[in-house]
Amino acid sequence: MSEGVIIGGWNYVIAAYAITGAGLVGYVWSLIARLRKSHNREED
Amino acid sequence: MSQRMTRIHIFGLVGLLMLLVGSFMGLFLAPQERYMGDVQRIMYVHLPTAWNGMLCYTFAFGFAIASIWQHKPKWDALTVGAIEVGVLLNALLLIQGSIWARPTWGVWWDWDVRLTTSLIMLLLFAGVLALRSFVQDPERRAVWTAIATLVAFVDVPLVYFCVRWWRSLHQVQSTPETVSAGMVWPLRINSIALLLLVIWMVAQRARLELIRRRNEQVDEPAKMAPVGGLENV
Repeated sequence: MSEGVIIGGWNYVIAAYAITGAGLVGYVWSLIARLRKSHNREED
Repeated sequence: MSQRMTRIHIFGLVGLLMLLVGSFMGLFLAPQERYMGDVQRIMYVHLPTAWNGMLCYTFAFGFAIASIWQHKPKWDALTVGAIEVGVLLNALLLIQGSIWARPTWGVWWDWDVRLTTSLIMLLLFAGVLALRSFVQDPERRAVWTAIATLVAFVDVPLVYFCVRWWRSLHQVQSTPETVSAGMVWPLRINSIALLLLVIWMVAQRARLELIRRRNEQVDEPAKMAPVGGLENV
């Protein structure tokens, strides 16, 4: 092993990308759901 | 669907596709960093999140000034849209940073000046959203939101410049000249991709706020009628 060099670490990379993706998808999902709910109320 | 709305949806779609391309390039095509190895690939999502999060707050600052100046509902709706998306990106930024810190610094968190000011920024803008939810009157809510946004924004330049002004574990800002050419393109593509997605999300959140405001105006006379309505006289 080289001194001061990080070997591996893909689990951290995957975690960072997965959490970012989940956060963005979750927010967009909630936004669409809230928009639909408000639209339905407006039509009622 | 209006032409403007179709255009906004194109922003979102192009942003999503670019984010997939940029992330693929960052994960599999970009060169490995000499000391951090593959862990450094977190940068291709961490930096665009940071830049766009701070951009959201800067947009919110501009919208808040316009809201105080003109008192139009659209500026208030855009302010809350930009803040909500900014808070989302700010939260993701802190989580990504924590994941990156563990293998490189050996800790998940440190009360370093960059991390601390970023956490304060999240709490301040989340506080603006919380404050907003306590005010019933739409006019007063818009004024309070705008003023609180201007106050919260004081922390944004601090977050950006703190690594230059004080000693920090966090590195100072890089430029295209200080990183490998193979690292620049995934970073640029993801930054533009996230910017397009931010524009789409802020526009949708603002649209939601305007619909809610219209619904409130419809509900308000209905609530008032039994108490002060002329039909009771």
